[in-house]
Amino acid sequence: MAAGLRTVILLSFVLAVGFLLIILSCALWQNWLPLLVALTFVLAPLPNALFSHCGSDDLNYEGSGPIDLGRFITSIIVVSGVALPIILAHSEVINPKACVMSIVGGGLVYGTILAYSAAFSQEDAEYE
Amino acid sequence: NYDPRRVCLNPFPEISLGKHRRTAGVYLAGALFALANWTFLDAAVLSAHAHSPWGQPDQDPPVHVSFVDWIPGICSLLGYLVITLIDKDRVRGDEGFGDSRAVWRARLFLFIGFALMAGGLAGSVTVLILKYILNGFPDQFTYYGYANVSQSVALMLSAIVLWIAQSGGSEYEYNLTL
Repeated sequence: MAAGLRTVILLSFVLAVGFLLIILSCALWQNWLPLLVALTFVLAPLPNALFSHCGSDDLNYEGSGPIDLGRFITSIIVVSGVALPIILAHSEVINPKACVMSIVGGGLVYGTILAYSAAFSQEDAEYE
Repeated sequence: NYDPRRVCLNPFPEISLGKHRRTAGVYLAGALFALANWTFLDAAVLSAHAHSPWGQPDQDPPVHVSFVDWIPGICSLLGYLVITLIDKDRVRGDEGFGDSRAVWRARLFLFIGFALMAGGLAGSVTVLILKYILNGFPDQFTYYGYANVSQSVALMLSAIVLWIAQSGGSEYEYNLTL
């Protein structure tokens, strides 16, 4: 229980640092376009979460189409989250430092979501 | 086991990466797909915010990304859609899949999909040469054409990776049937 609590506190700190970096990258240059990166990385786990329940009833090992589609969309969204600030920085819409800060912050946010789901899905499995 | 009736053979080698092969392949295909489209969008955004050529601050940019540049990408995307929507087992032509017309039709649509992708690639090279290289624009603007070509190439790679990942995943079934 204590380990779980410590994990939650650590993950929430990392999440806060990630959002802080993204918001700083917007606010320091008065250009709020990098905020799209936060939106992208928050949306990234959604397709896998939705489609993972589609093919779970049939037990054959060969993966089904909806699961593949979910993974495909997840991959597209993650790459878009990294590519968007690079492109904006390339065409000098945002500062290169803002680009780096928003990518690092987005990576922290997405890593937090991944770590949270990985840490607490196993504990759910123990109860069932 | 060469069969001269087969138009679209499946010549890709069987690569075994264990049971995560399908997952990794699908993720890689998605990443390549996004990378392809963002490469071209980079050129489009860059063109919309284009500066004047280096060393001549009072001149306008000589060329912009117009609708002509979008056509190869749209062709490639349509071809990608057609290829990914085809049932891979139909194309392999195993017996017991209903009538043989279905196999024939699946191969026809697969051919249309590959033709669209190849047309997109050829069109992007055409745009690169006719619109950018022959007119002698500086590297700053020729980049639009190169981005177009790399979009088509990455879309083709993505389709190939997705095909390999999805078609080779039936070893378990072979073990069952044999």
